Amino acid sequence: MIIWLLSDYDHRKHLAFKTLLARFSAAYPDTAVEFSVKSRASLWESLFTHLRDPKRNPMPDIIEIPQNWTDLFSRLGLLAELSSKVEPLAQRRYPEFILKELCRNEGSAFSAPWWLESPALFYRPQALKGAVSDPEKELASWEGFRAALDSVGKSSRRSGPRALSVPGSSGSVSVADVLPRVWGRRGGLFSEDFNRATFTHEETAGGIEDWLELAVSGKVELFSADRFENGPRPAEESAFIISSRKLAGSGRSGLRMLPYPGYPSGGGLMLVYNLAVSASSQDPSGSAAFVSWAMEPRNLSFFTESFGVFPCLRSVFEERLRDERESDAYRHIFAAPELKPNMMVYPTAELLLERALWNLSLKIARGDYDREDLTRELIMAQGEADYLLSLY
Amino acid sequence: MKKNEKIFYGEAPGRVFYEGRDAFLRAALESVEERFALACASFYEYEEGTGLLRLRQCHASGVSFEGEENLKPQPGSAAARALETMQPVRSRTSGGNFLYSPFRFDYSDPAGGSSVVPCLGLVRMERSPRARRFLPSEAAGADAYLRSFLRDYYKAEFFSLHRKYDKNVAAITELTEVFATALRVRDSFRHILSGIQTYFGFDRVRLYLIDEKNRKLKGELSADIRGKIKSIAYEEIPLEPGAHRFADIVLGRSSGAFMERYKDCVLYMPLAVQGVTIGLLIVDNLLSQQRIEPQELAMLRSFGGQIALAVDNSRLFDKVEELSLYDELTKLPLRRYFNQRFQEEFYRAERFKQPLALIWADIDHFKEVNDTYGHQIGDKVLKEAGRVILSNLRKIDFPCRYGGDEIVILLPQATGAEARRLAQRLSQELAEVRIAVPFSKTRELRVTMSIGVSTFPQDASSMDALLEKADDALYWVKSHGRGQIAVYSEVAAAKEKEKAGSPPPASLP
Repeated sequence: MIIWLLSDYDHRKHLAFKTLLARFSAAYPDTAVEFSVKSRASLWESLFTHLRDPKRNPMPDIIEIPQNWTDLFSRLGLLAELSSKVEPLAQRRYPEFILKELCRNEGSAFSAPWWLESPALFYRPQALKGAVSDPEKELASWEGFRAALDSVGKSSRRSGPRALSVPGSSGSVSVADVLPRVWGRRGGLFSEDFNRATFTHEETAGGIEDWLELAVSGKVELFSADRFENGPRPAEESAFIISSRKLAGSGRSGLRMLPYPGYPSGGGLMLVYNLAVSASSQDPSGSAAFVSWAMEPRNLSFFTESFGVFPCLRSVFEERLRDERESDAYRHIFAAPELKPNMMVYPTAELLLERALWNLSLKIARGDYDREDLTRELIMAQGEADYLLSLY
Repeated sequence: MKKNEKIFYGEAPGRVFYEGRDAFLRAALESVEERFALACASFYEYEEGTGLLRLRQCHASGVSFEGEENLKPQPGSAAARALETMQPVRSRTSGGNFLYSPFRFDYSDPAGGSSVVPCLGLVRMERSPRARRFLPSEAAGADAYLRSFLRDYYKAEFFSLHRKYDKNVAAITELTEVFATALRVRDSFRHILSGIQTYFGFDRVRLYLIDEKNRKLKGELSADIRGKIKSIAYEEIPLEPGAHRFADIVLGRSSGAFMERYKDCVLYMPLAVQGVTIGLLIVDNLLSQQRIEPQELAMLRSFGGQIALAVDNSRLFDKVEELSLYDELTKLPLRRYFNQRFQEEFYRAERFKQPLALIWADIDHFKEVNDTYGHQIGDKVLKEAGRVILSNLRKIDFPCRYGGDEIVILLPQATGAEARRLAQRLSQELAEVRIAVPFSKTRELRVTMSIGVSTFPQDASSMDALLEKADDALYWVKSHGRGQIAVYSEVAAAKEKEKAGSPPPASLP
């Protein structure tokens, strides 16, 4: 059995999966399992390469995908239907907000929700002294957070630690960076009826601009040379950290957690990752059995806890929420969770936005970025997304 | 990890041929990590245009993984020096102990171009801050070890490009064959689109043809990435400047900016034969947003003439076929085409033991119509008869203008009773048709049909017999007053009675 796992900036995930597989092999010694860790771009490319030439580019048996890739790849015939083969899917043992975006065809499911994360704001109380007196209140809004960053930035330049760190950043500004802010402004990539793209709408473009401004003002360092030379900065070196994971050792380093700024009424964008079985798997029932095994509470709990994310299975999810030290912040986030739409052209629309953000990042890094560049890039990306909508 | 046992030249241990570049990279990093007690080994490609190092593969704690990381080395830093000097550089920072081993090699573009494809980058070897630093001798050893591996990377790259080249050569040969044979197969457009998808594998291929008469660009077929073909006949674009970008492309008025934006993942290829544009072929990778390789675009373009010719030929072929198989006046198939279908349907009926009915119709007094009102009116009568017949048949029925005013209709899976019902409907509808005759006293003409019906297997067991019995039934109607319908079995029964001396019925039920 071959598995493709999505790569993660946090190596703990890869190691956790390796351990999970070791447990599986101990329980089922007759089943040989191999896994490869693929980047999101490489996984996307591999899936399309398979579609173009299935004989030369075979699929693995199991793939980890972002939940909102399910509609696209099931329509392209790559994924096997799992609703009757994976018990938690058959029994709908997932929180309602996850099930809502699982599949557009009621009753069928082509992937099983595995784990989820939601971006949040971590801060070091000591570093905020003199800059923020009531973090919960002042950091609830984006403007408050932005002002605090400025105040902290002034002092941090003198004392050393950085004001803001984003451990999940790939170097450039990416869709993963900007979407929480876009959602916070009640924007999105498509209109509610999914009939047109809305990249240039005020809420969406404004959300993107909010994050780009952090890069333009140097609060977020693009293509960080420092990270290349020294590796990721330890948590204790930053006043603020935006992360969708519970940080390793955050308790020891005195970090506190708050919901992502700019969701005053609660809620947040959830990123859900699923396990899917390839439609061309040589062992479809064995593969579905592995997915079921991975969803068993004990295994799911171990895997997700290892790298600070939440399990998707309702019982384990609720248990984790109860035990969570920062449960107030998480309760706030999970009060009105929102998922990215699981629709056919959405992943491509994200790619279009990713390309626009890449171009803008290069401009910012070169120091020749202008607000007009954002408008132009978004108009073009929106035009392409609209065109796609007309085709698919 | 798949690998075979083909040994490469060189000294480094474990030198085997790896399937694909990624498998090779994983093996290289895994090997160097183990051999030099590293915490992590990462392979970066350097993009000279942007000055960015882009992570491709990493190996740490026994796990290989791809990463998404684009970082810019600080000018003067150890990594930057390594890239500048192409020599290994050691460094020690708060993040750990590092050794940067750079590489660069160029290879010729196997697609036949004179350009050189450069590959530049470095491998970053890392030990934790608490681990021992890289000694100069160790750094030299690790660098040499990696370089020997990277020579194989060069080979892996070369083989990968060579495979592409091989694929292209195969595509040229086989596509030429596909386009050349498109004429001889049914659904030739499908054949052409399938051929393109098999060898290029685009997200989508669409074919539009120009309808000169109506000045439109009409959608024909679309093939998706899985090779599934569907009709896009619902797409009609007025062929006017500014009406649609496809129209502008066909008319040679497309804006450069628009084309520029899509140049990497869409190719709009007007199809022209002897300088006349006949359609538009569009291939795209819009869904995947993957770049279409320039060599692929160039190759498809070079096929443009052949594709256009194949499309045009098959269109002409369809026209000629239509002319030779269909009667222009009644729009009914001709006898030659009927004979072919009759044979197929008869075999099918025999094999699956299904009924097959045959209607033989004749317009009453057609000769008199021609003689009295002229051939123009006669033609109108035939045209109306054709229209009535075509509008009443099922999809599986097959009519034919058998000759003159004689029309034969094949009714697969129909019994005598079903055939009679259809005949009645046809007869009734035709009788209601008023054909305008301006120069006659009545100003209009009405016609009737005599119809004979035979069925398989009741009336006949061979094709000839089935035709003969329908003709017999028709003859019986004609000799008993015309304008009626006779089923052969009933005619036979009536004839038996005649023989036995009973008076013949004036008409059959």
